[in-house]
Amino acid sequence: MTLLAQAVPPGAADLARARGTHDVQGGLHLESWIYQGLDALGLEFPFEEWVLVAVTLLVVCGLVFGFINLFALFAVWLERKVSAHMQCRLGPMEVGPHGLLQTLADGIKLTVKEDIIPRVADKPLFILAPVIVFTGILIRFVPLPFGPGLVASDMDLGLFFVAAVGSVEVIGVIMAGWASNNKWSLFGTIRTATQMVSYEIPIGIAFVAVIVCAGSFSLMEIVNAQQGWFWSWFVYRNPFLTILSIIYLIASLAECKRAPFDLPEAESELVSGFHTEYAGMRFAFFFLAEYAAMYLVSAVAVVLFFGGWWSGIPAIDGIGLAPDDSALTVTVGFLMKAGIFMTKAIFFVFVQMWVRWTLPRVRLDQMMHICWKVLLPISLVCLVGSTLWELMTGGGAFFGIPTLFGFGG
Amino acid sequence: MTVGQYFSDIIKVARSIAIGMGITLRYFIHWKKNTITIQYPRERDHIPPRHRGIHYLETEKCVLCWKCSDICPVDCIYIEGTRGADGVLKGGYRGQKATLSKFTIDYTVCIFCGLCEEPCPPKCIFLGPEYDYNATDRTMMEKNLLTDEVYTEEDDKFVEWARDENERLVAEKKKAAEEEKAKAAAAKAAAAPGPKPSEAAP
Repeated sequence: MTLLAQAVPPGAADLARARGTHDVQGGLHLESWIYQGLDALGLEFPFEEWVLVAVTLLVVCGLVFGFINLFALFAVWLERKVSAHMQCRLGPMEVGPHGLLQTLADGIKLTVKEDIIPRVADKPLFILAPVIVFTGILIRFVPLPFGPGLVASDMDLGLFFVAAVGSVEVIGVIMAGWASNNKWSLFGTIRTATQMVSYEIPIGIAFVAVIVCAGSFSLMEIVNAQQGWFWSWFVYRNPFLTILSIIYLIASLAECKRAPFDLPEAESELVSGFHTEYAGMRFAFFFLAEYAAMYLVSAVAVVLFFGGWWSGIPAIDGIGLAPDDSALTVTVGFLMKAGIFMTKAIFFVFVQMWVRWTLPRVRLDQMMHICWKVLLPISLVCLVGSTLWELMTGGGAFFGIPTLFGFGG
Repeated sequence: MTVGQYFSDIIKVARSIAIGMGITLRYFIHWKKNTITIQYPRERDHIPPRHRGIHYLETEKCVLCWKCSDICPVDCIYIEGTRGADGVLKGGYRGQKATLSKFTIDYTVCIFCGLCEEPCPPKCIFLGPEYDYNATDRTMMEKNLLTDEVYTEEDDKFVEWARDENERLVAEKKKAAEEEKAKAAAAKAAAAPGPKPSEAAP
């Protein structure tokens, strides 16, 4: 706490009061809201400044956790529906309208299940593993925006942070597999380690290519660089980035262990891989982490390539951005942008499910072949190509074509 | 592996993935048309008219002749009741009203052979479309057709239709058999004169 107190610069409260509740993109500042709300009521914030920061952090953490839970509830239902409809089935239909509350019922069942730890398991590691896996995902949500300004911490090295702490999850998975003392778990763990370490490289290269175009590591800055018509989205910026966006989507499937790269938990080969021995709440955390990771990689794809919260039509994006807009317009614009961002992210989650229920699982050697012999060389070529394209065309949108005709990005 | 093969492999893979994902997307979009699941207790599949399920009994028609229980090969039909105005069991079978007090069929024993349908004088017993034999107890499998409401009014319509359809099918089959027989006889008759000239030749 003393560290936290030192980290808060003196006069932070005055800054929060001064800067307004919304930023330039119509985003919210939570601390400013609290301060200005208290001011409006004629109250003083009764504690020191770092208490406010700590409270804000807790609230934000709780919000993100709540969001992950809600999203997982929805996504599990969606997954079951997508799979069912692609296989001429109906899927869950009994609990709630079209089975919408089925996941809630399953979640309640999981929480009241007996918590089993195998006798020969390494107890501390076994207990710690799901926590680390889930934390590894949760921590990646820190620099991820949910809408304009709606971000836990807009750090300058946001994208680097997302890529870096992603590896924490691997440690948790390895712990889970090793501590289970089960050969299937261990196989799954080894596969996870090889897979996730390999596929981080094409993802990192795709990140770098986007950073070159945007000129910043910050996810907010990257989104703001794609403002305007939809051809200023990075996926249309040059042909190499289009290819890189596809490479990122493929590699992100492997990164969150989804089919066709679900070798770590291959049901038909390894029972259920690294979480074979887990039951009840601990299993639920692995499950939650998987769906949170699905949202995360989709949201990152939206931020990097598909324009973030910009709808691609300036007339819609402009709502609430003018300096003399009323508070209502600003709020409407903000909510709309958050909704657009969420819709895009959920669309890519749907694409992941779509791929999962279409393609069969690849073999281990095929998986390594795809990563090292296909994705990696192509992504390297695309990185060089994209950078050269940026240098030569000066960064025009939509392959530079609108710039040629005097449109401008 | 040549460079050309490397790129042609990638294109081949991309093409096949696109085709596969197109198929699954089509199925996903047209799920209402494609779904083959039937939500059993609420929806039921089409039942053929000659399906032999739980008995459907037209109580008012029954004349209490015990012919069904007599013919039953496994003796699973238990009938009790009175016949005649004075409650004495006497007189002819047909046209005389009977008062049934019990008409129980033990479905743990019944083999659904349909023999009980055949001798019934007013044709009032019929193996209906109901196939739900769930029970938590053996005694529950003994269904009293007078009190257990197995069939609803909607089922009655179906049963009537099924009975007509059944009769029609039986008649059709009979007719077809007769036609076949007549044809065979005609063929025989036609074939019979064939060898005659050869016999007559010498």
